[in-house]
Amino acid sequence: MNKFDAEKDEVVIEVKDLVRKFGDRVVLNGINIKIRKGEIFVIMGGSGCGKSTLLRHIIGNLKPTSGQIFLMGKDIASAEEAALNEIRKKIGMSFQSSALFDSMTVGENVSLPLREHTKLNKNVIEIMVKMKLELVGLRGFEDLLPSEISGGMKKRVGLARAIAMDPQIVFYDEPTAGLDPIMSSVIDKLIVDLSNKLSMTSVVVTHDMKSVMAIADRIAMLYEGRVLEIGTPDEIKNSKNPLVKQFINGSFDGPISFFQEKEDYLDQLTG
Amino acid sequence: MQIDMREEADITVCRIKGDVDINSSPNVRKFFENIIKEKKKKVVVDFSEVNYVDSSGLATLVEILKKMRVYGGKLKMANLSERVLGLFEITKLDKLFDIVNGEAVKNFE
Repeated sequence: MNKFDAEKDEVVIEVKDLVRKFGDRVVLNGINIKIRKGEIFVIMGGSGCGKSTLLRHIIGNLKPTSGQIFLMGKDIASAEEAALNEIRKKIGMSFQSSALFDSMTVGENVSLPLREHTKLNKNVIEIMVKMKLELVGLRGFEDLLPSEISGGMKKRVGLARAIAMDPQIVFYDEPTAGLDPIMSSVIDKLIVDLSNKLSMTSVVVTHDMKSVMAIADRIAMLYEGRVLEIGTPDEIKNSKNPLVKQFINGSFDGPISFFQEKEDYLDQLTG
Repeated sequence: MQIDMREEADITVCRIKGDVDINSSPNVRKFFENIIKEKKKKVVVDFSEVNYVDSSGLATLVEILKKMRVYGGKLKMANLSERVLGLFEITKLDKLFDIVNGEAVKNFE
């Protein structure tokens, strides 16, 4: 049974009729999504479907061509930079590449947002760093450099940094990209654990099907800049939509085409 | 957030009102500087009017405990709501602090 009730649960992110064009190319074509407090919401789709662009709009890094985005009740599409920065303090971001500073120790990387955005004493920050590293299973690693730890550990350090400020919402961009299946499962479990323990809302962008099914409360399947379907993992698994089915099964044959029409190609060569 | 302090025999009771978060925990730290300076031995922090403690608040309490231990001071956390207790448990601090209710507050032996 779905642990959420659409009627009574608080919506923390709402995307309304979001359209984004880059030149003539429509990358997001009328997206409508409501994300509820406390849920793990996965935005899924193939490469180039617009999922990372959607994420960048939700966190206010990109402005829509039209439409609105409400993040914790604030319309961030029209917010000024100062207001955006205040909202950003309440969200955490875990990047695909971990985005750690190589010259800083693990501890310094985790403490960076605290040192930059708060007036907390350095002893207090030091204790907080230890608490955050414990939460991601990296107690005692604070003095190592990123170059001295594995890719999976770097992801976990990135997670510890994302939760440094006790955010209400954490965004994960391809959290398992480049990891082996075991380390992917470790990260999946960590996302679920952190989300439950810290009562955070989690928004995960990924194309890793195994990961999607393991962590999602609800999934939005994106295709060519549109939301094909939103539902629980079971609902998505049992979808009748041939595009969704093809993506779930990872099959080559189906309505999602991998090649352009032959004529186009030949026209391009000779045109 | 506000803190008021009262002495009950040789026990110092500090009652916090409001959330202990990134904005208010520096004030909690400052308030306890005096208690530590005076080397108060038996201190109770009353959480009955606290709804939320974030990780900066928890870390501040850890630092206070560390400093009190240096001179043999004892610190108790009293009257935590279920939610606040949960926040202590996530970071395993329920095992570090002496968390008490009711009469146990006065038992420092």
